[in-house]
Amino acid sequence: MSSTSGPLTGSTATTVDERSRLQRLARHPVTHFVLVRGVLHTAVVLLGVMVVTFGLILLVPGDPVRIALGTRYSPETYEALRAASGLDRPLAVQLGSYIGHAVTGDLGVSFRSGEPVTALLLQRLPATASLAFAGVVVGLLLAIPAGVYSALREGRVADAVIRVTSQVGVSVPDFWMGILLITLFSSTLGWLPSSGYTPFSEDPAGWLRNLTLPAVTVGLVAGSIMTRYVRSAVLEVLGSGWVRTARSKGLPQQQVLRRHVLRNAVVPVVTIVGIQMATLLGGVVVVEVVFAWPGLGRLTYEAVAARDYPVIQGAVLLMGALFLLINLLVDVLYAVVDPRIRQR
Amino acid sequence: MSTTHRRPLRATLTALALVASLGLAACSTGEGVDIEGGGSDGGGGSEGIAVAIGGEPDQLDPHKTTSYFSFQVLENVYDTLVEPDENLEMQPALAESWDLSEDQLTWTFQLREGVTFHDGAEMTADDVVYSFNRIIDDELSTAYRFSSVKKVSAPDPQTVVITVSAPTPNLLSSIGGFKGVAIVEEKNVESGDITTAPVGTGPYELTDFTSGDHIDLEANPDYWGGEPTIPSIRYRFISEGSTAVAALKAGEIAWTDSIPPQQVEALSGDDAVAVDVVPSNDYWYLALNEARKPFDDVRVRQAIANAIDRDAIAQVTSYGTAEVNQLAIPEDSAWYTSYDTYSLDQQKAEDLLDEAGVSDLSMELMVSSDYPETVDAAQVIADSLSDVGIDLEIRSLDFGTWLDEQNQGNFDMLYMGWLGNIDPDDFYYSQHHSDGSSNAQGYSNSEVDQLLDEGRTETDEDRRQEIYDEAATIIADEASYIYLYNPSVIQAYSPDLSGYTVRSDRAIRWRDASTG
Repeated sequence: MSSTSGPLTGSTATTVDERSRLQRLARHPVTHFVLVRGVLHTAVVLLGVMVVTFGLILLVPGDPVRIALGTRYSPETYEALRAASGLDRPLAVQLGSYIGHAVTGDLGVSFRSGEPVTALLLQRLPATASLAFAGVVVGLLLAIPAGVYSALREGRVADAVIRVTSQVGVSVPDFWMGILLITLFSSTLGWLPSSGYTPFSEDPAGWLRNLTLPAVTVGLVAGSIMTRYVRSAVLEVLGSGWVRTARSKGLPQQQVLRRHVLRNAVVPVVTIVGIQMATLLGGVVVVEVVFAWPGLGRLTYEAVAARDYPVIQGAVLLMGALFLLINLLVDVLYAVVDPRIRQR
Repeated sequence: MSTTHRRPLRATLTALALVASLGLAACSTGEGVDIEGGGSDGGGGSEGIAVAIGGEPDQLDPHKTTSYFSFQVLENVYDTLVEPDENLEMQPALAESWDLSEDQLTWTFQLREGVTFHDGAEMTADDVVYSFNRIIDDELSTAYRFSSVKKVSAPDPQTVVITVSAPTPNLLSSIGGFKGVAIVEEKNVESGDITTAPVGTGPYELTDFTSGDHIDLEANPDYWGGEPTIPSIRYRFISEGSTAVAALKAGEIAWTDSIPPQQVEALSGDDAVAVDVVPSNDYWYLALNEARKPFDDVRVRQAIANAIDRDAIAQVTSYGTAEVNQLAIPEDSAWYTSYDTYSLDQQKAEDLLDEAGVSDLSMELMVSSDYPETVDAAQVIADSLSDVGIDLEIRSLDFGTWLDEQNQGNFDMLYMGWLGNIDPDDFYYSQHHSDGSSNAQGYSNSEVDQLLDEGRTETDEDRRQEIYDEAATIIADEASYIYLYNPSVIQAYSPDLSGYTVRSDRAIRWRDASTG
């Protein structure tokens, strides 16, 4: 990558060698400030999330211990569970202890199964991460070509078709899409398993076979949403002065697209990819239920149904943390893809 | 004493039972694991199967779990002293035989010899004593079943003696009716492993529990009833019925009970799948709060019983798979009492309301959103009642709140179900005796009390049947409960599965099943 990054950096740096400039920037105090601020900011928000998840249990009508125990239990059992959950101590102490334990990765014990919440969450994370990542990949494979093409053909038939299709993709309920795919590819054609999960470490081919249908289901929805963002990002760039300039100086369409349009359209797309990724990492409850996928979404759903508060708290905290982490990554990515941001 | 677990469905099913087989036809990829049964009929080459249940067990300690999903698995891992057969009559299991003393207060059980736990340890009378005392001393949810038990002892390793405070004709179903009273291993309990890696004496050994995905069982070659034919069973958790049905049709699983009721009819016409619909002993009912006016007036209760449309309610809750009933349990049950006093008769309902001097009645029906079908049915009920001039408001609560409101008597009418009913003492005493622990409606009739007390200790079967026929008839006549319907047990399986029986008590037993 040489000095062709004119449009990227606006009117500033035009001929500076990209590499040495990056090195300089890495040492620049402002970069440190941004990074530190990002990390600090994330930590503070995470603390807030902890306080809120802790507060969840206080907002619940009724006594969580009583609910956890069901209808028949002895007073000793009740006191034992109450003491074990720390619910007999003053609130501030409980909060401090909750945060202290959470920071060290101890999120308590499930009311339902007696298993450590952290272990339960970690067990589910690979399945959810597989699905979120594959879903975003499928989504991007759809969204980038469709969105760019649609923008280039703005107002024509192809644009209308893509816009309508993506609107349908956003509107179709994902459980219904999932059931349709299962009916076609599992029941009728028998090409792919209808449901279930195989860990990658056990059988990569099986992992992929099990992953395909849910990833396509998630990807169709995510892709439809992203198509619309890609389209409008590209359209915005197409309308800019520098694209007009590039065209008027006779650059071929391919080059205009690659060098000027796509690179500038990347920033808003990174944002939406980040949001999609973060959302999917929180678990796609409905898709996970349809495909019997052992992810975080289903764990949370079942915990809510069973009023298993430690698991609900832990899952919300983990989702919050993942969301923040992705946001931080997106911020860093901005700085990488757009020099204007890192110079700000 | 009574007791009762009022925790209707979702989970608290009391399962029991016996069964037979299933099999599968794994279409494509079977790796034919041959089983040559150590002890049993080393029949043909059955393969391991996968089955789908509608959700994940909360934990696998049979004494502590309240989830039916757990019992669907544990039925095959554990044994009880005695166990119900398909007709829900108690048969020998870990106990080979038993004697009852003259005064009916001492039960002596002879245990089967040479029974071992899956870890190889021998199962003795001490394990039985430990298991029962654990339930009684820790006041676990099944402790009520031992309310008449004074002492459990083991005079020698093959003998268990249970002494009771009064004759207890239903002791066998109390201590063996379902796997919630299974014989567990002390070591397994003390180590805490029982919640995820239970060790039993049953036909299958639990070898893997992967949360969120599956549980694996393997045939126990040393099972006292002979090694089962199907070598391994994988339980998958598929809560979405459409997915489970697709997996069954694709041959990925051999059996499921995760079936949307609206698909039963279509599935019945599909040759690739066998579907069984068997009426269960579960029942759903309405109850009116007799501590509130005007529901203390039997005529008002009868008017409502005549105004509702049971067929429409059964249709909307189960797509017609449930059997309407005006008493608790269905026709093919041993304790069935025939009864059909009520009918959809608006004129009669209006006349009864007039006689009671009630007009412009406006009332509430309390249902639980955790049982969505009750919310649907409530609308049908509201519609029927409006035809006789009753304005019904529906109050839908989550089940925890619903229970609180019931226990505090904050309701006009409620709609709920009872599951896993075997002995009439279980399902009449606590609900209709003046001292019954689940008599939230406040019904009190001294004649019924007397009959229910008598039924508890009457040891003559025929006389006991008469007592409960009489009590049940009065209970229904006076509309203590307005009984509605018995839902069906619905299971679908591969036609290659043989020797499997769908049981009315919802017990899922694989030991007699085979494939191919």
